[in-house]
Formats: sequence, structure tokens, C-alpha cells
Amino acid sequence: MLKVAIVGCGKISDAHAWAIRSINGCEIVGACDKELLMAKQFSERFHVKRFFSTVQEMVEKTKPDIVHVTTPPQTHYSIARECLEYGCHLYVEKPFTLYATEAEELLTLATQKSLSVTVGHDEQFSHVARRMRRLIQSGYLGGRPVHMESTWCYDLGGDAYANALLGDKKHWVRKLPGRLLQNLISHGVAKIAEFLVGDNPQVMTHGFVSPFLRRAGEEEIVDELRVVIRDEQRATAYFSFSSQMRPSLHEFRLFGPKNGLFVDEDQQILIKLRGKRYKSYAEKFIPPLTLAGQHLGNLLRNGRSFLASDFHMESGKKYLIKSFYSSIVDRTPVPVPYGQILVTSRIMDAIFEQLSAGGPPATTLPLNSSVLATPICSS
Amino acid sequence: MIIDLETPVLVTGASGFVGSAVVANLLEKGFRRVRCFVRPSSDRTRINSLVRQYGSRQIEVTQGNLTSREDCLKATENCHVIYHLAAGTGEKSFPDAFLNSVVTTRNLLDASLEHACLKRFVGVSSFAVYTNRDKPGGRLLDESCLIEERAELRGEAYCYAKVKQDELVMEYGKQRGLRYVILRPGTVYGPGQKTITGRIGIDTFGMYLHLGGSNTIPLTYVDNCAEAIVLAGLREGLDGEIFNIVDDDLPSSRQFLRLYKRNVKHFRSIYLPHFVSYLFCYLWEKYSLRSNDQLPPVFNRRRWHAEWAGSKYSNNKLKRLLGWTPKMSTGEGLARFFESCRNGRHA
Repeated sequence: MLKVAIVGCGKISDAHAWAIRSINGCEIVGACDKELLMAKQFSERFHVKRFFSTVQEMVEKTKPDIVHVTTPPQTHYSIARECLEYGCHLYVEKPFTLYATEAEELLTLATQKSLSVTVGHDEQFSHVARRMRRLIQSGYLGGRPVHMESTWCYDLGGDAYANALLGDKKHWVRKLPGRLLQNLISHGVAKIAEFLVGDNPQVMTHGFVSPFLRRAGEEEIVDELRVVIRDEQRATAYFSFSSQMRPSLHEFRLFGPKNGLFVDEDQQILIKLRGKRYKSYAEKFIPPLTLAGQHLGNLLRNGRSFLASDFHMESGKKYLIKSFYSSIVDRTPVPVPYGQILVTSRIMDAIFEQLSAGGPPATTLPLNSSVLATPICSS
Repeated sequence: MIIDLETPVLVTGASGFVGSAVVANLLEKGFRRVRCFVRPSSDRTRINSLVRQYGSRQIEVTQGNLTSREDCLKATENCHVIYHLAAGTGEKSFPDAFLNSVVTTRNLLDASLEHACLKRFVGVSSFAVYTNRDKPGGRLLDESCLIEERAELRGEAYCYAKVKQDELVMEYGKQRGLRYVILRPGTVYGPGQKTITGRIGIDTFGMYLHLGGSNTIPLTYVDNCAEAIVLAGLREGLDGEIFNIVDDDLPSSRQFLRLYKRNVKHFRSIYLPHFVSYLFCYLWEKYSLRSNDQLPPVFNRRRWHAEWAGSKYSNNKLKRLLGWTPKMSTGEGLARFFESCRNGRHA
């Protein structure tokens, strides 16, 4: 029986508890929050026997095999390091750390201690993301991706989190190096990082405060972001984050030398984009039919998953956690390779550095600009 | 009164629908040092209007967050009566609702006890805490009725947080000598209120399902509610008491809906008889359990009993111990509410 503990009993911890309790062979043995009342309410609702206000006490008294770190991002590094020092495997919520250097330190320490670490990029393990990965592994793209487009939106309107953030100049999210973006973009960036080659992709960033926020008197929070990424083998990617565009998308597109794929996370839709064209007018009539068939297939597949009670909103998280636990027990590779965690962190570092430096001007964004394209090599 | 008009009083959640009415009531009574605690992100339209009307000498607006102990210490300084209305309303997340209702209340209580000048803590709770089952008085829901013991199973973060908040206040009363009064308003309504209470029906599934039927709706007009809350902080000899707040002449759910459609706007609604809504809640609850929360248990039998089973309500204790009477009749209150809805001050 794997003993699991949770540090940080805020909103996201509920999803972790649900997922952990759905997995056989593990038990939550302790909950910790610097606010003891929060740890208490968590333990009461999820029937966890012991709760604590310090990580040290929790780890020493419950001796967990795995610790889930679900605290605000500023604390991830220190808590994760402490848990690794105690010999615990780690699941760290996204964003993994504030800086890539911290990520490197944690992953190095984990490797030295033969411990496993993963990050909460659970969107990469949703039903549709897993189907996409299987297709890519089967060679559907016809080679490495030539180009990718990841769109990740966040609707600021009518959300308690957004209202609190916009109204409170001391809100903790404002203290993050990448502010709002740091807390939101890692899912979308990680999707790209999964398919990049090498540690040093180039990053070009353009970000700004949307007119909507400017009208609300906001000048700090960048909520519109466009990024161009290019890896060592010249595969390229666009990453877009927007609070204003509608629909508020969570999409990923990959284009290989032969075919492409389109993934919609919200609707759990995967569409194959056929590379070869039909002759003459057939191109106008056959693709719409095959697309309709694919949409129907997605509908049936989603319906089947729902009827099998395997279509939870957090099913990606459950799959990731289960895979992570299996990798620990079976001593197999972790579900999110460490290189991918690092590249995601480095891209985010580069984005925030460029934003704080003013970023490239909107009208001149040359791909081959050696001045604006920042290698994200950490050294 | 346990304090005079010069004594500082604190109102948390002062920019809210009920909180601003409490502030207005205190000012009308002549209190000259009303401290309003508001979050940085709060909409201050109502409070600013009161400041313009009464002047900044009588109203002190303090901005802060009750999750901060420092802010609580600052807010409670010299305050002899605290009206605590701030809460995690509208939260779907249990931890967020708990943080914004229970942790904040604990911080406020600790801070006020540290200053050692508190004469009364008025905690504003909700009807949501009652199970509405096994009532000693038959159909009558009053202050003696049972509280939801397993509030987490109701599927409503607000209910859970309010049950825990009340427990905390009572625990401070027992263990640390806190002098408190708890008030549990029914459904507060009035101009500026944005929604029709879920006790009447829901529009979750793209059409309006009328679930209340002939049930009495425990309405209280915002100014009547504010009057009860203010009196609970001032009257002698109320320590440890709990009061439900409802008005007189309460309408049935069907009557309310009919009046709303006639006076505000017409829309299609489908009435679900009680046995159908109970069956729906029962099946949803079972499916939620069987599917390991694939559908979260937002409809369940506990909620059905609390919101749609129906009860009678009493404000006898309120009238007897506080000397409260509703100044606004239900007929007039509804007329004003409908008028504000017609004028677009509702969603």
C-alpha cells in the first residue's frame, strides 16, 4: 500500500484527493496546510486520519512514500526540496517551480536520491490527449511535427478568481515573476514542449494588457500573449494565450510532413487532418463528409466513456497520478520525462524575461532575428 | 442597548447586499462610528452612496482581507460590537468557501478577543445549515431544529462552510467566553438582488424547473433582515442566542413565481411535483455515488429536504426577544423587488 500525503489543502487538493481515492493500492495518510483549519477540513471531508501545519511534522509522523505539493507556486521549490530530502517521491502541481534553475535543482536532487518526480500537466493525459499520442506513435504524422499551434484561453469575466486578482493589488498571483500567465500557461506550453527536440528552443514573445483590462484600470497583468518557438531541428510552434478571444479555446494542432491532428480539450475531440488532397471537386465534398464521420466518432467515443463512468472532468489527473504511482512501484519511466519539465520551465522563463524587458515590437517580429530570438539555454 | 451611539462598531461584508443595509440601518439609528470592512475587490457602489449621504466622519471604510490576521487586528481595534456578514458566498469549491467563511471568522474572533473590548459578536449564518428533517415541531422549522451533521454530503460548499462557521463561533463561546448571537436569515430579497432563490426552482438544464410548488418561501426583505441583525447586536441579554429571520405573510413558491412572471417578465417553467423532484435527487445521488462523482452530487436527498421538502416558519423568537417587527410588508417588498428587476437591476 502506497502512503500518500498532501501539502496544501486549497481548491486543487480536492481533485487530487478524489483521484487518489479512486486508485487501488494507495491511501492518503496525512494532510498539511500552514493554516491548520484548512488541513482539518480536508482531513474531515476525505477521512484522512492525521493533519498538520508543517511539512516536517507531517513527513516525520506519517512517513509517506509520495507527497503531492498543491500549494501556491511560490512555495513549490522549498516544499518539494524538503520532501525530497526526507526521501519522498513528488507530485508537484503546475507550474512546477517559479524558475527553470529551481526545476533543474529539484530534478537533479531527485535523480541523486533515486526518487521520482512528476508535474501536474494532467491535460496531457486526458482521453483525447492519449488518443493523439497513440496516433503520433503509430506514425500518423509521417515524421516529427513540422509545426504546432497551442491555444490556451482563460475567461476573466465573471470569475471569482479573476475578480479577486483584478481588485487586489496585493494578490499573490501578482507577485509571481510571470503574474497571471505563470499560473495559467504551463498546460499549453507543455503540450508543445513534449514534441520539441533539444534543450535550447528559441522563443519570441509578444504580450500586452488587453484593452478590456486597460479599461478596468489594470496596467500590470498581461493577459494577451503570442509566442513563437523554434527547436534545434527547426520545428516551429505558436503558443497563444488570450483572456479575450471567444470561444475561450483549449486547442492543440500538430502538422507533420504527411498528416496533421487537431485536438480540442474542452470538447474532447480529436480530428485527423489528411495531408493528401482529393482530385478536383472531390476535395470540396469528400473531406466534409469524412469530418462529419470523425465528429460522430468522437461523440460516440465520449458517450461510451461516459456510460462506462470513465469521463470525469479530472480523468487526466487520475490517469497521470495512476501512471506516476505505477512508475514508482514498477520502476518504469515517469509519465512526464524530466527533459519535458525542464523545457517547459525554460520556455516560460524566456517568455517572462522578454515580457519584463518589453518584448519585441509588435510590427517587427522576424523569425531569424538574432536579437529578439532568445535561446533559453540556462547556462 | 449594550453600547452607546459613540461606540465603534464593525461591519464585515459591508459592501454586500445585506451588509450595506446593515450599515444604513446603524447610521439611521444614529451610530456615529461605523467601520465598514470591505475587500479590495469589492464593488463599493452601495457604501460610497452611504458615505455621500452621511459623510466620512460617521463611516470609516477599511479595506483588507479577513484571511490576514493583521488586517483583522486593524479592523477590530476598539470595536465593541462586530456584525460579521462577510462570507464565501457563491463559491463552488469547498476549500474556498471554508477559507472565506471559517478561517476568516476565526481570524476575526482571535483579533477581537486580543483587543479585549468586544461586547458582542453577531454572526450572520443561513437557513442552509438546517437539515429540515426530524423537526420537533412537525412541519415548523425554527431555531430548535437539527443542523446538518454531515454537511459535506449536501453537495453545497456554502452549506458546509456555514455549518462549520456556526460551530466555530459556538466553540469560542464555550471555550473562550465569546459573547455572541447567531442570526440565520431565510431568503433575503429586495432591490438589487439578482436571482430567484433556488427554493423556488432552478434553470440548470436550459429550462426553468419549478420545484417549490405550494411550499412557503422563507423570505425576508433586506431592510427587515438588516433591522433584525442590528438589533441582535444591541439588545441586552441575548448572549448565545440563535435567531431565524423571516418576514410575516410569506408567499408560496407558486404565488411568488406567478407574481414574478406577471410583474417582471414571462418565461416558460415546468412544475415538477415533489415526488418527481425527490426521485430525481435520489437517482442523481445514486448515480453520482456509483460513477465515483462523474456527475458531482449537487442534487441529493439532503438538498431536497433542505430546499424543496417544504416547511412552516416562525419569527416568534425574533419578535419576542428582539422586539423586531418587519417594517416592510411582504406585499410592498415584493413590489419594490419586482420594480427593480423590471428596471434592469437584476441579472
